[in-house]
Amino acid sequence: MGSGELRYEIAQNAYIKLVLHALKHKAAAVNGVLLGRLSDRGDAVEVLDAVPLFHSHLGLLPNLEISLLLIEEYYGSKGMSIVGYFHANERYDDTELGGIARNIGDHIFRYFPQAAVLLLDNKKLEALSNGKDRSPVMQLYTRDSSKNWKLVSSDGSNRLITKEPTANVVLLDYMTSEKWQNVVDFDDHLDDISKDWLNPDLFK
Amino acid sequence: MVTKSEEEQLNRLEAQVDNAGGGAWEYLCLVRKLKVRRPDKVLKHGLAILNDSKKRSALGTEEWTLCEQVAVAAMDCQSLDVAKDCIKVLRKRFPDSKRVGRLEGMLLEAKGLWAEAEKAYSSFLEDNPFDQVIHKRRVALAKAQGNITTAIECLNKYLDTFMADHDAWRELAEIYVSLQMYKQAAFCYEELILSQPTNPLHHLAYADVLYTIGGLENLQAAKKYYASTINLTGGKNRRALFGVCLCTSAIGQLSKGRNKEDKDSPELQSLAVAALEKDYKQRAPGKLPLLTSALKSLRVSS
Repeated sequence: MGSGELRYEIAQNAYIKLVLHALKHKAAAVNGVLLGRLSDRGDAVEVLDAVPLFHSHLGLLPNLEISLLLIEEYYGSKGMSIVGYFHANERYDDTELGGIARNIGDHIFRYFPQAAVLLLDNKKLEALSNGKDRSPVMQLYTRDSSKNWKLVSSDGSNRLITKEPTANVVLLDYMTSEKWQNVVDFDDHLDDISKDWLNPDLFK
Repeated sequence: MVTKSEEEQLNRLEAQVDNAGGGAWEYLCLVRKLKVRRPDKVLKHGLAILNDSKKRSALGTEEWTLCEQVAVAAMDCQSLDVAKDCIKVLRKRFPDSKRVGRLEGMLLEAKGLWAEAEKAYSSFLEDNPFDQVIHKRRVALAKAQGNITTAIECLNKYLDTFMADHDAWRELAEIYVSLQMYKQAAFCYEELILSQPTNPLHHLAYADVLYTIGGLENLQAAKKYYASTINLTGGKNRRALFGVCLCTSAIGQLSKGRNKEDKDSPELQSLAVAALEKDYKQRAPGKLPLLTSALKSLRVSS
């Protein structure tokens, strides 16, 4: 089954974690992985959690491999697998899905053919404070039959939704209180292993 | 580049100032000294001093340095009115200053007036072709517009003249990595290792790039540079320790079936594993079982 009409449903905490991570490192590109599983009916991918990965040297393999190893080890035991990848570009008006994102997406696709790549939509993020939009501030890319990552248009069917409709409200709240300071990514963990990339206390 | 203890000192001071415990001026001086980028804090606390006439006059001539620092932070936070005011004040005080001219150029950049900024910088360089800061601003200008190829060209040209500028080499390497041009990135790190052979971060970055390019020779070289990083950091650099494990595993995979004499001693691998496990046991015991099983899956069955 390809990703023809599959829906992608992202849990609020996963969603917020990724955006806050991008906000913590405003001047850099950042990335993260999406964890979850295929729904029982097979009509949706449930993204249940996310792990923020790096904010520097995103194009280098060693740290990526270590992080994926540890992440798969942990989430595997919880019945989840890596179902997608998140990327935020360095520049505000860069709306392209670059080579690094595509390559990492390809790698994840090999193990999970319904994988999604999410790209932070900076303009949507900026407009968040207008308070009207419930859709996620990310663009959805899926693999098409010619092995390319294609943007899924957000008009019409909402193939990417947050599980909780109030996700953007909560996100705005966290942004006001500068909660991004507390996000720990894999880079932080490698620099200081007492920092937990699972971010267990982030939403407490 | 900042050391861990410098960063901790900075964070401590920052927390102190944030909680109204004083020390704003020391904080701002430290930010300047370490050349870190914390624009929102600098703007907040710097402006507080500048807007308080008593605190401001207590600074004496340092007032202008602060003005400059706040102007740059304001531009970084897109508070362009604040930046404009600071620059105006500086221009009044130093009417012929090129340093203020640079700030005015940066303001044009911040406003997105690329052509005007380029014009300003070009005319600066006509008067003084060796102004390193302006050269680098042109690179930043190209980068901000998304003209990465132009940025690379400018940076390469800059490095032809100013080949001792380590920051520029590192910037170029990072740009290459972001474009997945690993061989070119490797060249930059080679230059850096040549000029600063005892800086472990260059060895580490070089090893990372070699590993990413892949192939048996590069993996073996990467392992050597991870080893030298471990040497230079007294075994404390976790990324290098992980790097050794990854290399050994990858080399093992590639040499399966080849003659076994290619496999070098497994001691480095087991030492790296032991060091990592000890570290995790001490500082992140909850993650230790995860680490152990992950490392086990890396060990190539010999």
